[in-house]
Amino acid sequence: MTTLTQVTSRARGAREGAPPRRGAGSAPLERSHRRMFWAFTAPAVLFYTALFLVPLGYAAWTSLYKWDGLTGKKWRGLRNYQILWQDDIFRSSLTNTLKIMVVGGVLTFLISFGLMLVLREMQHRMFARSVIFFPCLVNGMVFGLAAGFLFSPTGPVNEALGWVGVHTPPKWLSDTDTPSLIIAVLIWTSVGYYTAIMMAAVDQIPEYLYEAAELDGCDAWQRFRHVTLPLSRDVITVCAVMWTASSVKIFELILLFGGNSGTTPPRRTWNIAVFVYQEAFPQQGTPALGMATAAAMVSLVLVVVISVVLRRVLRREPLEY
Amino acid sequence: MTTLTTQPPQTPLTLSPRTRRRRSPVMRAAIGAVWALVALDFGLILWIVLTSLRKSNDILNHPFGLPTDPRFGNYATAFRDGGFGRAALNSIGVAALSSVLAIAIAAPAGYALARRRSRASSVMSMTFAMGLGVPGQVLIIPLYIGLAKADLTDSLVGLTLVYIGLSMPFTVFLLTGYFANIPSVLEEAAVLDGAGILRTFTKIILPVARGGLTTAFLLQLIGAWNETLFAIVLTHSQDKVTLPVALAGYVATAQFQGMDWGTMFAGVCVVLAPMVALFSWLGTRIIQGMTVGIGK
Repeated sequence: MTTLTQVTSRARGAREGAPPRRGAGSAPLERSHRRMFWAFTAPAVLFYTALFLVPLGYAAWTSLYKWDGLTGKKWRGLRNYQILWQDDIFRSSLTNTLKIMVVGGVLTFLISFGLMLVLREMQHRMFARSVIFFPCLVNGMVFGLAAGFLFSPTGPVNEALGWVGVHTPPKWLSDTDTPSLIIAVLIWTSVGYYTAIMMAAVDQIPEYLYEAAELDGCDAWQRFRHVTLPLSRDVITVCAVMWTASSVKIFELILLFGGNSGTTPPRRTWNIAVFVYQEAFPQQGTPALGMATAAAMVSLVLVVVISVVLRRVLRREPLEY
Repeated sequence: MTTLTTQPPQTPLTLSPRTRRRRSPVMRAAIGAVWALVALDFGLILWIVLTSLRKSNDILNHPFGLPTDPRFGNYATAFRDGGFGRAALNSIGVAALSSVLAIAIAAPAGYALARRRSRASSVMSMTFAMGLGVPGQVLIIPLYIGLAKADLTDSLVGLTLVYIGLSMPFTVFLLTGYFANIPSVLEEAAVLDGAGILRTFTKIILPVARGGLTTAFLLQLIGAWNETLFAIVLTHSQDKVTLPVALAGYVATAQFQGMDWGTMFAGVCVVLAPMVALFSWLGTRIIQGMTVGIGK
């Protein structure tokens, strides 16, 4: 990664350094880049503004109203957020979202880091990496439905547990245990992705640093402690920020988890994404669009605040190697 | 590519410490555990595929049995009664079209942002990057209302437009990175020879960036294929839904009629199979696209 940055900054330096030298090639190029800039970016900016930025602003605005989508909006201001805070279902959705983010995140990270260290030592590691990576390309519904079958009370998992002498298995698909099972399935589908990211980053640590460490008498643990760990700090930060943003979006896994609930999963399992969907587009009853967008805004604020904190805590001077 | 140049040439006498080191028992156990995980992943996918070929009561009685005679009856039922056939066509259409258009729109922007260093360009890059952190549930209600006003709900055109818009932050971000790594010497020569910037871009830059464009296309295709929240909110008619919506709908109706596991797993396989095929074919490229450059 750093090598890439070096190359780009060098290229940039060459361009920026051009004017004093008045390089014959750079000036016309610079001029045509300036001229093309708005024409080239216009379509993307248009799509992004119309389908992303405007809706974002509209969401912030709607979150201050009471609105069923049919009759007029009624001003409520920040009271929407206050009502949300007192709503038990929202609270449990928020708790689940935070559990997925923190518990799921820490476990995914630890397992991925461990997998990365082990995979580095393995033969056929590219094959193993590919297999454990694959689940992240699959719609979460697939695993939610498969889990519903595999973990059903008389299902294969309980049967297998019976063979090894566990006769009172957890009630996997009960209201109390499903949230944990969802997190477990989520971790299982995500570790491959984060393992691959960390492998890509750690593979860029030059071999000579390990050789130097070994010449200095470092054992395997010390090489890990003083070479691998400090040099993978940037990728750890990025993974943490990426997990924060992606974990609050988890939707389809919960929607069909267990497979017996159609489009209204049990409330105890909801996260904010499912809460927003159920509030805004309920199977029966009136939509509460203002409340739903307010809940969605809470999830956005969560992502922003936690990403900023993570960057603050994990930031340090970039290392060159 | 650039890493190769920075690595010092290894003398043949120095074995890398990785190969020389003796494996501790802990490491051997850990390697065993990783292979167990690999077997579990592989086994689960294989099990889903095999189960989709079996009768429902067979599945319930012997969850791990093999299909006695491969039955494609489940698929016939899924395509006929579950509406998976039409949904599969819709999914292919929306995913392919939105990915092509997203790349066509994002590529010039990525190029412009990579080349132009001005205040406007850095503000714009920042604004696109900001979008990476916005969860879909924030946009779903405004987009639903906006599309309803334009009469574009329950419409594949509307869904395609939404997918293009949603893909902008990531695709622009990814392509900016790719273009920034293409040396500008190429364009300098072309511009000196009198080529306009548009011709330089289409004839010189785009061919060089083909790898990056393909990767961006693949990632967008995978994302659109699996996207569920927007599809489920924005489409509902039998002939407009995409696969994830058809699957959710099938599970919802099965609630009342009793679950036909065979047909459900056939539906699951229709969602799963193209990803298996794509990944077996272009796996390395997909993994690289999703991981390299992320650590920056």
